Amino acid sequence: MTLQPLSARRYAVTVLAWLALWLVVAAAALVLGARVWVWESGPQLNDALRDALYGVATASVVGGALALAGLAFQALLRNPLASPYILGVSGGASLGVILSSLFVSVLVQPIFGFLGALVTVGTVYAIAQRRGRLEPYTLLLSGVILNAFYAAVIMLTMGLVRPETRGDIAYWMMGNIGRFDLQWGLVGVVAVLAVGAAVVFAFLAKGFNLIAVGEETAGTLGVRVERVRHVTFVVASLVTGAAVALTGPIGFVGLIVPHLLRMVVGPDHRRLVPASFFFGATFLVLANLATGLLEGAVAPFPPPPVGVLTAMCGGPFFVYLLRTRWRRTAEVQ
Amino acid sequence: MAQNSRSPITETVPRADGPYLDVRDLAFAYGAGPPVLRGLSLGVERGRFVALLGPNGSGKTTLLRILLGLLAPASGEVRIAGLRPADYPAGALARRVAYVPQGTSSVLAFTVLETVLMGRSPHTGALGFEGAGDWHAAREALRLTDTERFAERNLEDLSGGERQRVVIARALAQEPDLILLDEPTAFLDIKHQQAIHRLLVRLRDEQGMTVLCVSHDLNLASAYADDVVLISNGRVAAAGTPAEVLRTDVLETVYETRVRVECDEVTGRPYVLPRPED
Amino acid sequence: MKADRHIGMLAAGLALLGLALGCSEPEPASPAGGGGERPLRILSLTPNVTEILFAMGLGDQVVGRSTWCNEPSEARALPVVGDTLHMNLNQVIALKPTLAFLITGREEVARGLEARGVRTVTLRSDTLPQMFDSIRVIGRETGREDAARALVARIESDLAAVRRRVAGLARPRVLFAFPMTVGSARIMVAGRGTFVDALLEVAGAENAYPDRANWPTVSPQKVIAAAPDVILVHAVGDEGAPDRVEAIRRAWAEWTSIPAVAGGRVHILTEPYLTIPGPRVGLAAERLAETIHPELQERSP
Repeated sequence: MTLQPLSARRYAVTVLAWLALWLVVAAAALVLGARVWVWESGPQLNDALRDALYGVATASVVGGALALAGLAFQALLRNPLASPYILGVSGGASLGVILSSLFVSVLVQPIFGFLGALVTVGTVYAIAQRRGRLEPYTLLLSGVILNAFYAAVIMLTMGLVRPETRGDIAYWMMGNIGRFDLQWGLVGVVAVLAVGAAVVFAFLAKGFNLIAVGEETAGTLGVRVERVRHVTFVVASLVTGAAVALTGPIGFVGLIVPHLLRMVVGPDHRRLVPASFFFGATFLVLANLATGLLEGAVAPFPPPPVGVLTAMCGGPFFVYLLRTRWRRTAEVQ
Repeated sequence: MAQNSRSPITETVPRADGPYLDVRDLAFAYGAGPPVLRGLSLGVERGRFVALLGPNGSGKTTLLRILLGLLAPASGEVRIAGLRPADYPAGALARRVAYVPQGTSSVLAFTVLETVLMGRSPHTGALGFEGAGDWHAAREALRLTDTERFAERNLEDLSGGERQRVVIARALAQEPDLILLDEPTAFLDIKHQQAIHRLLVRLRDEQGMTVLCVSHDLNLASAYADDVVLISNGRVAAAGTPAEVLRTDVLETVYETRVRVECDEVTGRPYVLPRPED
Repeated sequence: MKADRHIGMLAAGLALLGLALGCSEPEPASPAGGGGERPLRILSLTPNVTEILFAMGLGDQVVGRSTWCNEPSEARALPVVGDTLHMNLNQVIALKPTLAFLITGREEVARGLEARGVRTVTLRSDTLPQMFDSIRVIGRETGREDAARALVARIESDLAAVRRRVAGLARPRVLFAFPMTVGSARIMVAGRGTFVDALLEVAGAENAYPDRANWPTVSPQKVIAAAPDVILVHAVGDEGAPDRVEAIRRAWAEWTSIPAVAGGRVHILTEPYLTIPGPRVGLAAERLAETIHPELQERSP
């Protein structure tokens, strides 16, 4: 594939192409998800469409958010195995939802999830920063520490609550998209954050490319490396926290989508950012559609939560990633 | 870019007088460690090819980092075309000064052309769109470094020498006035060493580029550079033409070893020989 | 001389043997079919079993209960040994139970108790017939078969009374649902064949969920397809708090194509005994009947 200059026009064409793909898939998921052919009455069809629309909307914003965050963390930490959850934000959001569920109703729990994410961002920053600098290694370690801590507290909570609640918590932790109480407001918040993140990362994409080559080289080419790191860390963490507060931690989207796209589009982040946003949305819409189609397939068992489906795809994909050579050169800058 | 410079001089108006690259009394230490630069001063006029020599640990690379705005000096002043590195607006310094590091690594598989295009980054806009001018500059840089035929290949698939030429091409794509190189020919064979030095001379001649090249190779520096600056213990030990600086007494003091200096009859420049018989 | 010594030793040995036999504890009454003269030390590890035991008059022989066994009120004074997930075995051993009843899918819990010399009986009560069977088994194990029969008869007559009250009334389609505490992707409902399903039938309703299943979880579209006329949401304890009840109402209000929502027939019930398969199922059936058939409440004084 011969390279072409990435002009503004070509960029717009690429963005529109990914957008069109998402629109087509979303429309199909809406029709198939609502199973428009089974309903006899108008009101029933309306309700089914509303349910399917909520699923498509949620899957789109969360898929886009997680894919972007995964891409950003892989760039920030210079680590291809980074996922949006690597810095502990999903643990914080999960704990916020779980602990608050003991006291408040389902409607309000996501707010506490987002608060948990915010607290985590502050904590990771406080632990990891050294003289105002955010180094990838210390960030990773802080994330590991926090993830371990959150896992322990969540397990402790599960041990102390009623047996029925244990099951509910475990189910929520698998990641789910549909709901009985449609939280359109929260979907809107995640949408705004995801689009905002896409715009911010589009402006940082050039910097991501250069930082991937080398921190010093990026600096000599005019990139303000520490500013890029700070902004990336905060934006990616916020959008992840909001997504997890909405649906629970859906795994592997943030890891798989950027890698799939690199195989197709190449390593240039200017192309990867819009692609990740739209294809992340498309990917999760498809996964959600798959779980909907599996309804009743293996009666009497319910279909797996969407997070389980993505994990089942993610496992083999992860193995494939590890087996293929991840490119590294011999010299270190 | 650089963290706040604690230089005592606060004027931000470019200084009209003074050499193009004006370094005065530079002092620097890493963290709480011993001082690496102890009052280093030097001046480089536009369009000169200067070789920066000195023993390991004498502070050459640190000096380059300060010139690039990556580090802030503890005291002293650096001015490039009259402005301090911190005074340049974002990206503007990168349009004036280019850096060729010793090696290059990447966690991602960029092609040669993509790598050279990264050199256009200070010129492209916020979203990084490339125009025809950017492509022209990149192609020109590939031509000058004789790497056009590698354009579509992945960087890691090339040999060390080819890769180094690509890195130089990236620096050239920045269309700088001043190019700083850190041992650019350290791992290359004699053919490529000469090719690159010839290229630097050509750039000086044809484009008036100012070249500051850190090197361990005394003879290559002597053969090609206009001026040689010898750094020792964080200070300038000697500066001037190769004949003035590369003398037995000076070299033996700075490098703390016995050497023999002869004069090349054809070029009139000194060359340094080791003394294995001692 | 020698013979005397031998006889003396033999006599002493016999005397010692007689002493030993006389002082030993009598064997405990055999569990199956024992006369019931010796008090049993019963461990009850499931709430409905505790209620059944007390209803059969065995309350004074229960020495320990699980954390969740709060009814009847007399049971609250009993020592707690944890639940089937986390059992305080030291406490269990200290109580010296001879007989334990539990409902669990985890065989290792039953085996663990058996290994400590406690006769453990695993019961089931997902359906009404299973519940009656469990009562009979408890009767057999404790030697109180009469009490068991009496309890079964009482419960059956309670249910028959409710059946009479609703005879002739229209039978609406009813969905019996449980809200989730964390997130609400799906809700759990009572499938056909469960004891709740049987109570709905006693209460003069038809289970809107069409399939035989224990406690399936369903999606919104499944509920839309089932089109129940009445939805009963069972929210107990913390889940019955006003803000959570409000959350449940708001969640259901979206789905206006469901007849129950359109007709304002979404009821939130907070009585815990509605889902406990024990002596109070008659009360549960009555409460269900009065909720499903509001006209009953106008009739009764």
